[in-house]
Amino acid sequence: MDVATNLLVNGLATGTLIFLLASGLTLIFGLMSVLNFAHGGLFAWGAFAGVWLFGLTDSFFLAIVGAVVIGMLLGFVLERVLIRPVYGDHIQQLLVTLGGMLVISELLKVFWSPNPIRAVLPDYLQGSIELGDIILITYRLFVIAVGIVVYVGLHLLLTRTRLGLIVRAGVIDKEMVQALGINIKQVFTFVFLLGAGMAALGGSLLAPYSGVIFAEMGMQYAILAFIVVIVGGMGSVQGSMIAALLVGVLGSFMAYFVPELSLAVNMLLMLAVLLIKPSGLFGAKG
Amino acid sequence: MFLSLAVLPFLSDSRSMYIMFTQIFIFAIFAMSFDLLLGYTGIVSFGHCMFFGIGAYSVSLFLKNFDATISYFLLGVLVAIVLSGILSYLIGMLSLRLKSHFYAMLTLAISQLLFVLAEKWRSMTMGGDGFTFPVPELFRDRLSFYYVCLILMVILFVILRAFTHSPLGKVLKAIGQNEQRAEALGYQILHYKVIVSIVAGVVAAISGGLYAVMLRFVNTQVFSIETTLDALLMSMIGGLGTLFGSILGSGIVELAHHGLTELAKLHPIFERWVIFLGLLYILVVLCFPSGIVGSVQEWREKRKQRSMQAATITEQVE
Repeated sequence: MDVATNLLVNGLATGTLIFLLASGLTLIFGLMSVLNFAHGGLFAWGAFAGVWLFGLTDSFFLAIVGAVVIGMLLGFVLERVLIRPVYGDHIQQLLVTLGGMLVISELLKVFWSPNPIRAVLPDYLQGSIELGDIILITYRLFVIAVGIVVYVGLHLLLTRTRLGLIVRAGVIDKEMVQALGINIKQVFTFVFLLGAGMAALGGSLLAPYSGVIFAEMGMQYAILAFIVVIVGGMGSVQGSMIAALLVGVLGSFMAYFVPELSLAVNMLLMLAVLLIKPSGLFGAKG
Repeated sequence: MFLSLAVLPFLSDSRSMYIMFTQIFIFAIFAMSFDLLLGYTGIVSFGHCMFFGIGAYSVSLFLKNFDATISYFLLGVLVAIVLSGILSYLIGMLSLRLKSHFYAMLTLAISQLLFVLAEKWRSMTMGGDGFTFPVPELFRDRLSFYYVCLILMVILFVILRAFTHSPLGKVLKAIGQNEQRAEALGYQILHYKVIVSIVAGVVAAISGGLYAVMLRFVNTQVFSIETTLDALLMSMIGGLGTLFGSILGSGIVELAHHGLTELAKLHPIFERWVIFLGLLYILVVLCFPSGIVGSVQEWREKRKQRSMQAATITEQVE
């Protein structure tokens, strides 16, 4: 029983972290229908920038904010240079952002180093809390808290604000929104920036969680994030949250009970969902 | 061009150059097979490395566990062809109905599963450490292997050219340009897509087998996403939908790799040669979406049309 509870909490924490990685992608991929393969590069940058800034400023908070800003700047360049010419064409987006991914992952190695870097936590987030037999690691609780804040914020942004309304309308019918006098391009740029910033946030929180960061982590986690978006259903923030938690919990139980399968479990999950319901668990359109 | 490649070994006898060109030929085969999918039919597969990997492992396992003879090599290739044929058939039947980006993710997932399998099945594959193995007598000599790969590349080029110029190939092109219209014309889209993915899978498996023999070593790297990206880069840069472009693209990417790593002696930035490759690739996608060969073809077409127009005008004037 205690094992199960511990596994559940760990799984939920990992799941929330995966949600943070995937939430930016949900916005960009799900809502604007842009397949951004460079997304993984953005959170690798977030991770490296976070670790670097933490070493520089000694403030974990500043490091995260700095990482998000750097991620947004990169996202801005990506959107302007790569994605703007290819809105609406999936295959072109895929191809061009893949190139972007290559370039920004290599730049990462130029700025920092091609070798893995160790990431550390600030003192106040180290340690753990014991509740009876259950040991809760403080940083995991912190990640869960951030995840909840991001989730609620995104949900409110999309459902309660005028901007959310415009974005959702723009996805359904771009021309109509444009005809109503709204500069949809600007809105999309903004959403892209938001997504890029969240990717960097996810990356900077992931770094101390996994302890070691390396330039290739971008691709690895991007695949995970894509799995979550597809399993959850494109464009559904709620879907990605649930899919991310599912992936996290499933992963933590599998790692304990059937370790041979743990690496493949996400892929199998996506395979099953795609074959049974290609639109994902919460996806409306097929 | 093929002729000049055939006489090249007479002009130079540097071993490293043979190896580099052999690698170009092998990747050209791999890129051609990828181009059949993306360039001709518009299918985005992110898991094309799985067939490459199947080819590499089949051949290496046969050569390692049995005798290093040509017949075991051929047996390995045969097994690779059968396996990849079956796998591509199954994947195609199950998932080619899906929208393009779903299919892309699905193939990525399956190839990653194979990657995990190869990592975990250590008794067989030795995981990421990989294993070396002896190669048949004929392939031991770099020069003769150079010719084997060159000849195979030319043969496959001719076969695939015939395939794409056949009525079936024309249907594939129609699907690539406008799937709905091809369907409306009464073609069973799925049927054709499955056929092309089987052909692409089998050709990729052959290239994988050759690749393993060239290195005399195999590890799980063959199943990594980078392997698929290589094929993508090469066929994009050379020109999608032109088999010859894939050969050219393979040459450019490999030569660029070679040249830029040489330059690394001058300035360490060139060690990160992928940056330049990535920039070149982005430029191609955004500015010359038809790639080098495609752009040249378009330019020629335009010139031909213009000269034809000029001819009719002068005729009319006269």
